[in-house]
Amino acid sequence: MLQFLLKRLIGLIFVVLCVTFITFILGYLAPGDPIKTLLGSHFDPITYAQLRHQYGLDLPWYQQYYNFLVGLFHFDFGYSFHYQGRAVLDILSSGLPISLELGVWGLFLTILIGIPIGIFAALRANTWVDTATMGASLVLYALPTFVLAVFVQVLIVSIDGGTGVNWPVAGWGNNWQYTWSDIQFKLAPILVYAAISFAYFARLSRTTMLEVLRQDYVRTARAKGLRERVVIYKHAFRNAMIPLVTVFGLFLGLLVIGVFFIERIFNIPGIGATAIQAISDRDYPVIQATAVLGAVAVVLGNLISDLLYTVVDPRIKAE
Amino acid sequence: MTENLLEVNNLKTYFFTRGGVVKAVDDVTFVMKQGETLGVVGESGCGKSVTALSVMRLVANPPGKIVGGEINFNGDNILEKSMDELTDLRGSKISMIFQDPMTSLNPVFTVGYQIAETVKRHRKDISNDQAWKRSVEMLDLVRIPDPKRRAKNYPHEFSGGMRQRVMIAIALACNPQLLIADEPTTALDVTIQAQVLELMKGLSQEFGTAVMLITHDLGVVAGTCQHVNVMYAGHVVESAPVKQIFETPAHPYTVGLLQSIPRLNESRDARLTPIAGQPPDLTNPPAGCPYAPRCPKVQSRCRQERPELMPVGRGEQVAACFYPN
Amino acid sequence: MDTKDTNTDLNSPGAVVPDAAPSPMQTELAIEGGEEVPILGGQEKEQKKSPTPFQDSLRRLRRDKRAMVSLGIMIFFILLPIFGPLIYTHIGGTVVSPTSGTISPAAYHSPFHVELDSQDQGPSAQYWLGTDAVGRDLFARLMQGLLISISVALAVEVVDVLLGITIGVLAGFYGGWIDQLLARFTDIMFAFPGLLFAILLTGIFGYQADTIFSKIPIIGANGNARLILVSLALAMTTWPLMARYVRGQTLQLKEQQFVEAARTSGTSNTQIISRHIVPNLFSIVIIAATLNISGTIIGEAGLSFLGLGVQPPGSSLGLMINDALDLTQTHPWEVLLPSIVLTIIVLALSFLGDGLRDAFDPRSKD
Repeated sequence: MLQFLLKRLIGLIFVVLCVTFITFILGYLAPGDPIKTLLGSHFDPITYAQLRHQYGLDLPWYQQYYNFLVGLFHFDFGYSFHYQGRAVLDILSSGLPISLELGVWGLFLTILIGIPIGIFAALRANTWVDTATMGASLVLYALPTFVLAVFVQVLIVSIDGGTGVNWPVAGWGNNWQYTWSDIQFKLAPILVYAAISFAYFARLSRTTMLEVLRQDYVRTARAKGLRERVVIYKHAFRNAMIPLVTVFGLFLGLLVIGVFFIERIFNIPGIGATAIQAISDRDYPVIQATAVLGAVAVVLGNLISDLLYTVVDPRIKAE
Repeated sequence: MTENLLEVNNLKTYFFTRGGVVKAVDDVTFVMKQGETLGVVGESGCGKSVTALSVMRLVANPPGKIVGGEINFNGDNILEKSMDELTDLRGSKISMIFQDPMTSLNPVFTVGYQIAETVKRHRKDISNDQAWKRSVEMLDLVRIPDPKRRAKNYPHEFSGGMRQRVMIAIALACNPQLLIADEPTTALDVTIQAQVLELMKGLSQEFGTAVMLITHDLGVVAGTCQHVNVMYAGHVVESAPVKQIFETPAHPYTVGLLQSIPRLNESRDARLTPIAGQPPDLTNPPAGCPYAPRCPKVQSRCRQERPELMPVGRGEQVAACFYPN
Repeated sequence: MDTKDTNTDLNSPGAVVPDAAPSPMQTELAIEGGEEVPILGGQEKEQKKSPTPFQDSLRRLRRDKRAMVSLGIMIFFILLPIFGPLIYTHIGGTVVSPTSGTISPAAYHSPFHVELDSQDQGPSAQYWLGTDAVGRDLFARLMQGLLISISVALAVEVVDVLLGITIGVLAGFYGGWIDQLLARFTDIMFAFPGLLFAILLTGIFGYQADTIFSKIPIIGANGNARLILVSLALAMTTWPLMARYVRGQTLQLKEQQFVEAARTSGTSNTQIISRHIVPNLFSIVIIAATLNISGTIIGEAGLSFLGLGVQPPGSSLGLMINDALDLTQTHPWEVLLPSIVLTIIVLALSFLGDGLRDAFDPRSKD
């Protein structure tokens, strides 16, 4: 088992290196001279050279990459090209807790809502309940986040108009606080954000649960005289959980991408919004940092997935 | 007269599918005595497995449903019991083992746990330690070597034959009165088959457990059973002590079955004598005797009336035939 | 989730786990299958030639109502942007506009014509679906946006299929370093979640692409220059998955007996690949492609939504949504229109994909 994990770890490190390299190279090849942009049209060569040196742009590319990597290890993403003198980390830090809050809730709801709904549908397979929940899940899953968000916003607007309730359409409350006003701001974006992943999990849970319920060992459990609840939640679910655990890394990826769109639509000042701003500002270090963070999150997710997998499936230990 | 352990009367189990209603078990009646080993034989699809599942009420619903009859176990009708009473019965008074040992054990729990679980379920006052000890005892009883260590292993760490023994251990852990074994050795190698059957025979004798052994292999029956039911197309067509089934089979189907077994002492040129024809379509069984289309002794009466199980004049032997041998 | 290039439905061929082979697909495609043609009483029926499994699958597909309806919807949305504008620009009489003088429908029904006097109007006789914040005809913009979506989807899919099949077959058939390379490449692409890579690429090279590609006639005009970059970016993220599916299928096919038979009769590797393996890839490729198209359309819309795709004055479904986002409270119609159309297309493609999968691989049914 340890060997399996080690192999995976090495693979993941390789992937992270490639990701950082690609991100770096793209930034390196980026058009335009950031120093010139910073200094404007009038600059003197000395300041130019100084700034170039300060940003390390006069070094050969492999050295820059090395510095980039080293910086990453220290969570130093370099300095912004747009906001002179500000560290990228500084720019991102205000948005990070917000995006994290969004992400954590997304994760939480996905597991807490998605899986039970899937199991519920599996236990009532082929009834109208099953068709209805799976149909709804299909729609939620197929829709892009931003489209769903738009529909929800229009819904809020019409509810506001119709009932006079002044539910906000955009914006974010205070970080990690949940007064009524905070909830008003946060409920819609969090639900929309989680919708796609929990729809996906609902469908997956249903499929795996159905698959498991068909297995012989479930019949054996019943033949032993175990109560139905035990058969389903202990014997069946424990097995159904295994494929769910393996997709954990993948769905973390969904969440990462969702951040960009949700923050744009609901006007939430997280790192997604910062990144989009950086794109129009051509602030490459910020863009790079965000990309690396996103990719690392996915890679971490995969690692957690692998770890969990070894825990829940005893057959893996044999490898 | 000792009360029968199990009395199945006019059991009907149908499957309601899109292609029609499959009458898998269509009016089956038989009894089992305490401690007796009953063999249930017949070809695939004759209803033997479904009968067994019906006794445990494990028939998948949908699409299956027990639509008629009664199953009396120790005098009580199982079909009228509540879910709670039923789950109390399963695993403690009546146990079942299945055909494929590779998939019948839950892969994520240890073998010891799966045995102990049964014990804990049915003996309320037992502690975890005691249940585990019983687990190890059972593994020893079914001759798993080094049972203390092996109890902590997972099913995938055992071979097919050993897994089947584990199944037997689970089934017998609470000392049931009846063990139903649905083709327990079909998926195993021949040599392992013999070992497992030996084990079952020994244990049933030691603990006085009645065994309903379902198989399509007449050889297995000959070595282990005291009484035999022959089933065809959802009916019991003959029921007799094992000696009589082999020496003086009454129903033409039984005769045909015995004749179709290739024997070691036949000459190499002798042709095999299979039974002509196909089993009937269970969604649309013919009127009259289900075997009539293939029976060499068929008469016009056979096609119109369905024969009931009647004594043939040799002790307990009964056959559902108007013209038994 | 805004890109469907990673089809994560467990039932789909190739599923999620990188090294899993796809679910077993019917491999009888190369062998002529027979089907009994029931001869109904009282009707003369000449013995038909037994249909191939492919025709069988087509028949199954035709019977799937949901898939057929979806197919119809897709055909509508493909024909609309191609022929629609041709007709629309001739409907309606001349109109006197305060800012532009007398204009014909060719002008005011164009997706680029700004009419500041007719901002944010609802559907009317003149503007069938209303106008946007700067007075552009929404119907025209919708059709233009659909045209973009389809063009990008087509371009990306062609690359996806060609590259995916080539590399996938080579990786599956020959294994070795090609296979290793594909595996590493796929791992890396998977590490960039969804659109992240495309966002990165278009975010960094977007402006450059605008200037370079706008020189290209027709395609480069009207803010569409960047689409080449967008297509490239999306193609790069989708082909590894297609290659993975194809590789898996190739691996399976390679072990089939008919390949062994071909080999023993002396067929060269190239012939085996072209005659036996590639034709059997059809079903998996078409299913994957349909689902990928859905992902590409969403991807392009998403990128345009973020301002990284089509630039003004161009039109894209995503751009239309972005433009109208701030007007949700006052003019919800403007944001709902492109959203609903996008939803319909995505759902239709989803159902079509499901239908194709059921038709071509019935074993994948629950």
